Amino acid sequence: MAGTMFERYGGFASVSKVVMALYDKLLDSDVTGPYFEDVDMRRLIDHQTKFVSHVMGGPASYTNEQLQQLHEHLDITDTAFAEVMMLFEETLEDFEFGPDDIQFIIKDLESRKSWIVSQNA
Amino acid sequence: MTEDSNEKGGSSLNLDRFNEMLLESTAVGLAILDPESLTIIFHNKRLGEWFSHVEDRSTVLTDLFPDVNVERLRERMDKGRPYTAEVQVRVGRRDVSIALVVTMPTDEGVRHLIVECQNISKLKELEYMIESYSKMVEKQNRTLQREKDRAEKLLLNIMPRKVYEEIESFGVATPQRFDSASVLMLDFVDFTEMTISQDPTGLISELNEIFSAFDFIVERHNCERIKTVGDAYVAVSGVPEAVMDHAQNIARVALLFVRYLKRRNSQHEEQWRCRIGINTGALIGSMVGIQKYVYDIFGPGVNLAARMEALSAPMQITLCDEMHELIKSDFHFIDRGEAEVKGFGTKRIYTLAEAEDSATMELPPIPGHG
Repeated sequence: MAGTMFERYGGFASVSKVVMALYDKLLDSDVTGPYFEDVDMRRLIDHQTKFVSHVMGGPASYTNEQLQQLHEHLDITDTAFAEVMMLFEETLEDFEFGPDDIQFIIKDLESRKSWIVSQNA
Repeated sequence: MTEDSNEKGGSSLNLDRFNEMLLESTAVGLAILDPESLTIIFHNKRLGEWFSHVEDRSTVLTDLFPDVNVERLRERMDKGRPYTAEVQVRVGRRDVSIALVVTMPTDEGVRHLIVECQNISKLKELEYMIESYSKMVEKQNRTLQREKDRAEKLLLNIMPRKVYEEIESFGVATPQRFDSASVLMLDFVDFTEMTISQDPTGLISELNEIFSAFDFIVERHNCERIKTVGDAYVAVSGVPEAVMDHAQNIARVALLFVRYLKRRNSQHEEQWRCRIGINTGALIGSMVGIQKYVYDIFGPGVNLAARMEALSAPMQITLCDEMHELIKSDFHFIDRGEAEVKGFGTKRIYTLAEAEDSATMELPPIPGHG
């Protein structure tokens, strides 16, 4: 199929909807909700949209070192990471992403786990 | 009760209930205010979710929205116009942005204020994102422009601007014949034997300095550098744009090159001595190559300039009949008589000289002098 996954699903406009819906779920979850209590959600959603766009082959770029820098002070646990993965998968499914594409995104995110989860958490 | 009245009674009852359900389930937070005291008389469920402390008949609008400008609100109501404001409230873990519209419906006969509140958090998030992406795009555009400028600058080093513009517009540049143009060819005497050749870096650095000075001179005199090959330097005038005084321009540039080198030699240990051949005639200018392309000039006029260069003594400028004819009234020359020029037959050869040198300049012998 022509174009990147980012282009096929409709670019930033679509990705931003997915990310906004994801954060609704993350805020509602008692496992992940507390992490976002004092966070400027507009900034976070903006960053996350760019990051997910990057994963989908879109025009933004994040390095794993940046991910580590953004997460290291948050004491993110294995459980919280797993919850995010579960809710992310659910959200992508809500937005009718194809199973292969969902797998691709989740696998990509899983591969970055060591940069996100705190080692001593 | 008849079936009919049953239905009527049922539907009227259902409509009330339906209205109530709508009021409670709508995503809009609603309240009715006393127009004088701004006390909330009624609020719906959604408003209660956002403002847990709201109580009918005791909460005042400004308790919920401290930033509301009451004076302005009253002014707007007097004019029959809506009052709008935005506020942020904390609901659970979320900061919710609320847009508030206060209106005063007049058609009911009862004067109350209606407050409508919408959760515009998503809108705010999108606004933030749009701004952030605009910045990202602007930044990328600036980077692209910088890259484009850089590429353009590099390309302009290897081709004239007119040719570059032709390639940019059409993808290709067609070879072009220039009937009136002049060429200058220069190289350095004993370049390979110069002592500095033992130090290639130093040599190239000096050569670069000299060629940069040449470029400066060339540009200022309506000429164009075509290329450098090793220690050779080739410039033209009249390519790729026709220039009236192409012969004069090239002659002037040739004199300035020699003048510059003389001055430089007087201040440096290393002595750079050039030979220059100049000539006027028809040329073909064209891009050559596909991947590694370069703009170059071709034709007998170019070859003759090369022959003139070969006939030059160190620090001299040599030309023959055709060009001499064009510029003889503008410069000083030393007539060196006729010579057999390979491939061109017999030509009368001249040395272009500075006014003060023309009387005293030493004439080297020309091979095949006639």
